[in-house]
Amino acid sequence: MQQRLIQITGITWTLIYAGIILWIYATEPRSFSEVKTNTRVAAGIYEVNQEKFNNGLELFHHDQFRAARDVWASADPGQQDPHTQFYVGYAFYREGWGRVYNDDALFKQGLEAVNRAISLAPNGILTVDDPNLQMHSAAELKTELDQGIERSWKDLNPLKLFRERK
Amino acid sequence: MKDYADRNRALLNFIVLPTLLLSAGLLGGLRIDGQTRQFIFIAPPLVTLLLAILLMSLFLRVGAIELRHWLTIEQPMMTNVSHLLTLIALFFASAQAFNSVLPENGLLHWMFSVFFLWTLWTNQFSIFDPRRLLRSLLVIFGTAFVLKHLVVAGLYAPEGGWLRGLTSTLLQGIAIDVPAFAPATGYISFFALALYVGGLLLITPIPVRPRASTVNKLTVREDALSQSSESESA
Repeated sequence: MQQRLIQITGITWTLIYAGIILWIYATEPRSFSEVKTNTRVAAGIYEVNQEKFNNGLELFHHDQFRAARDVWASADPGQQDPHTQFYVGYAFYREGWGRVYNDDALFKQGLEAVNRAISLAPNGILTVDDPNLQMHSAAELKTELDQGIERSWKDLNPLKLFRERK
Repeated sequence: MKDYADRNRALLNFIVLPTLLLSAGLLGGLRIDGQTRQFIFIAPPLVTLLLAILLMSLFLRVGAIELRHWLTIEQPMMTNVSHLLTLIALFFASAQAFNSVLPENGLLHWMFSVFFLWTLWTNQFSIFDPRRLLRSLLVIFGTAFVLKHLVVAGLYAPEGGWLRGLTSTLLQGIAIDVPAFAPATGYISFFALALYVGGLLLITPIPVRPRASTVNKLTVREDALSQSSESESA
């Protein structure tokens, strides 16, 4: 009986441990804190740090986009909150926007963030009610970033100089 | 006393052994970045799976694992499942042990891979016993460990001295791509190999089956006595 119990415990433990190892190799955490975050995400108890998010939002409204992104990165270390990722994308857009030309590198990072936000949002639809923003949906932001990266004859249009940042 | 021995043996075979092998599997692919000190998990490359297959075949050929005793229809399903999991863990631990001592990329990766492949391939046709095989594996892994984590890592360390200068001059024009890992990587690799060898030491060619418990023995004896008394009265 005891032998059987040890066998069952051994089989269960081996399967759980092997699962943990596969999960670690699949998620590739870069530090112990990332292991902790990934565990919380997997367990479904992950939450964004609201206080830090609000601090980041304040910085964003004062056009301090890099600082805002840094604060949001610590508020949402697992990059699992669609709202935070939307704002991260928006911060990249506003920082990278230029009247004459856009910063492609920042726009590409913004596109990655907004794609993350869309994939995390239920049904892929994300709307943010913030009166300080001119684009309220992730789809709008994605289109704007996509168009900013694209090269076309429209880029030579001098009227482009009169457009406004959203 | 015998019950304790049986219980300890079961704990060793069904819990400690898979844990050692899986831990070797976990640590075998772990590296620490030299600059950021972040974890890097490297999944076993295809060549290490091939090497692990060759090594498993060597285990079977020399009798380090008697497969017909490990997996047999005459033992309970639970025991077979447990043994199968242990063998799978051994396979992945072997792959990760190779992964741990193989340089990650470049010319050295292929040189080490060819060295391992050649050694394991020629061993397939050599006369071996389990003890000699274990000694041979210790030498192979030990040599590769020293070459990768002491010699090569030392030669290509950012703070390398005259030896590094000499090597880079000698190998000028030859692209030897050695990623910079923190010294902790060497320690992790050492522990991974130690766990792997510890696991190999625990593996017996024929799994030890638990003795029938005292109660069972008494029941069997009682049945035998009752059968003999019945036959005498008849």
